[in-house]
Amino acid sequence: MAKIISIHSFRGGTGKSNTAANIAALLAGGGKKTGVVDTDIQSPGIHVLFGIDQAAIKYTLNDFLWGKCEIRHASYDMSQAQGIAPPGKLFLIPSSVKTGDIARVLHYGYDVNLLREGFQRLIDELALDYLLIDTHPGLNEETLLSIALSDVLIIVLRPDQQDYQGSAVTVEVSRQLEVPSLLLLVNKVPSILNMDDLKQKVEKTYNCPVAGLIPHSEEMMVLASSGIFALHYPHHPVTELYRRVADMLTA
Amino acid sequence: MQPLSVKTVFQKLSHWGLLWAVLYGLMNILSNQLTLPAAPAIAIRPQVALPMIIGFFYGPLPGFVTGFLGNMIGDVLYGYGIGQFWNWHIANGLMGLVPGLAAMLAGIKVMKTVRDFGIIEAAVVVSCAVAVGVAVCLDLLFIHLMKFPESFNAWILPAFIFNAVSGFILVPVFFLLARRVVITLETRTILTITSLLVVAILSTSITITWAMHDDLTSYNALVNAIYFAGIVSVIMVIIGFASSIYFVKRITGPVTLLTEAAVSVEKGEYDLESIQPVSRRTDELGQLSRVLQNMAGEVYQREQTLKKQVEQLQIRIDRKKMDQDVADIVGTDYFQDLREKVKEFRKK
Ligand SMILES: Nc1ncnc2c1ncn2[C@@H]1O[C@H](COP(=O)(O)OP(=O)(O)OP(=O)(O)O)[C@@H](O)[C@H]1O
Ligand SMILES: [Mg+2]
Repeated sequence: MAKIISIHSFRGGTGKSNTAANIAALLAGGGKKTGVVDTDIQSPGIHVLFGIDQAAIKYTLNDFLWGKCEIRHASYDMSQAQGIAPPGKLFLIPSSVKTGDIARVLHYGYDVNLLREGFQRLIDELALDYLLIDTHPGLNEETLLSIALSDVLIIVLRPDQQDYQGSAVTVEVSRQLEVPSLLLLVNKVPSILNMDDLKQKVEKTYNCPVAGLIPHSEEMMVLASSGIFALHYPHHPVTELYRRVADMLTA
Repeated sequence: MQPLSVKTVFQKLSHWGLLWAVLYGLMNILSNQLTLPAAPAIAIRPQVALPMIIGFFYGPLPGFVTGFLGNMIGDVLYGYGIGQFWNWHIANGLMGLVPGLAAMLAGIKVMKTVRDFGIIEAAVVVSCAVAVGVAVCLDLLFIHLMKFPESFNAWILPAFIFNAVSGFILVPVFFLLARRVVITLETRTILTITSLLVVAILSTSITITWAMHDDLTSYNALVNAIYFAGIVSVIMVIIGFASSIYFVKRITGPVTLLTEAAVSVEKGEYDLESIQPVSRRTDELGQLSRVLQNMAGEVYQREQTLKKQVEQLQIRIDRKKMDQDVADIVGTDYFQDLREKVKEFRKK
């Protein structure tokens, strides 16, 4: 059975896209067939990490949602470009970056149910083991749907009072949607903080397991989303932390 | 006009080198009794350092006055007469003039760096060479007392060497005594090395001078001279070695302490008590030590403050606001509908 994993955060800029891309790359590197869908239609971004050539993108998730193409036409095999060896596979389903397309979504919306169908077909047609969903911050309709469809929800938060408050709302809403597995991922932790102490406090506050604490990393800042960190620095301690999250998902 | 007090008169005279000239003259009479064994015509005159020092401290003119007038006074009192060796008055004057000029041109008031030290010692040696050179030229032109090449070995070379060595050794000593040396690592090191050099020069000079007393043509006298030279060398080696250990320790000891303190800061231990004695030094190491203490203190403070903040870190959640936000979402038709549908999906 394929697993759907949503990566979400209440506020923007927490590191959702980076988390999704790194975990996906590590899963694929471990021999799993993995897809990543960018449902952040309003401000897409994860394609940047994959370094996909804009000219090569003919169809996007938007086209599928407007009935212009099949979902598999909007999926791109990134395995070779990212150096993923078989049997591992890494697919990307990007959202359109064209301002017209974005404006249209914002104005007319789309049929959220179609999204659910798209996920299922992706899993079937690409024979995926894992489908990762990069979401738009906040709790809008398609995000709620993504959460509802997820087997695992990873909530990314920074050690910041506003993130703490927002994550509490997300955790509560996800519980009402009966998401089978809820995980917290604390990102951009300043080195001065005590990791163990922080982990305990977060787990106690949300009564929810912490999948990992990722330190604020200079190398990550410098890479500046121009690539997937775990593939650039396969032996970096931060990559090790992502790998533990990926292992948790495959366990 | 202001009435002149005794003190100001004294100061004026010393400023113009007049008092020093008198002192120099008296010292010359005393030392005229002593002569170098190998060059009986040249008196042993370590006081040549005096006009040089006056030149360095007060300027070229007072330096010249001290040397010129002092030599004249000495000659007169000794009975040579004022004009017999007038070329040597000028030569002595130059030994004050040249250092004075050098200090003026190089802008040296105190000895602060190796450069200062080098210029001062070079000026000493150059002044001796100029003095002897001028004395010889004047003799050749007007006085015709010297004979060549005999006078060269008997007078000229010994005079130059002895004056230069005396100045070389004594001028830095006077700088130290007058507290005109800024004690830094640099001056400390160059003075240490120079003092070792001086010890070496003195030991050879003493040996040679002593040996000259005897007639070295006999075998026994030669053997005795060599023994003596051996004993002097051993003593000088011991003194030189012991003092260099002391000086090297004075310089490297604090460096070791500073390094250990820096390492302790790196480890986050902040063990800075050990460098307190170093901080009291006035040289570069003292400054480095104080800077290190201040910086480490600041870092420690900052770290403590941060640590306190981290310990007080709390995750506060406004439950009321959270319940409100959750209710807003859950209350929508979309959500209710979604929840029902999800139940169905999950059953499948
Ligand atoms: N652990 C980290 N250390 C340092 N920088 C990080 C870390 N994680 C993410 N970043 C940086 O933070 C920025 C935001 O990351 P990312 O785009 O993944 O966040 P996002 O949650 O997807 O943002 P958005 O809400 O805009 O989609 C990027 O510049 C990324 O390089
Ligand atoms: Mg993003």
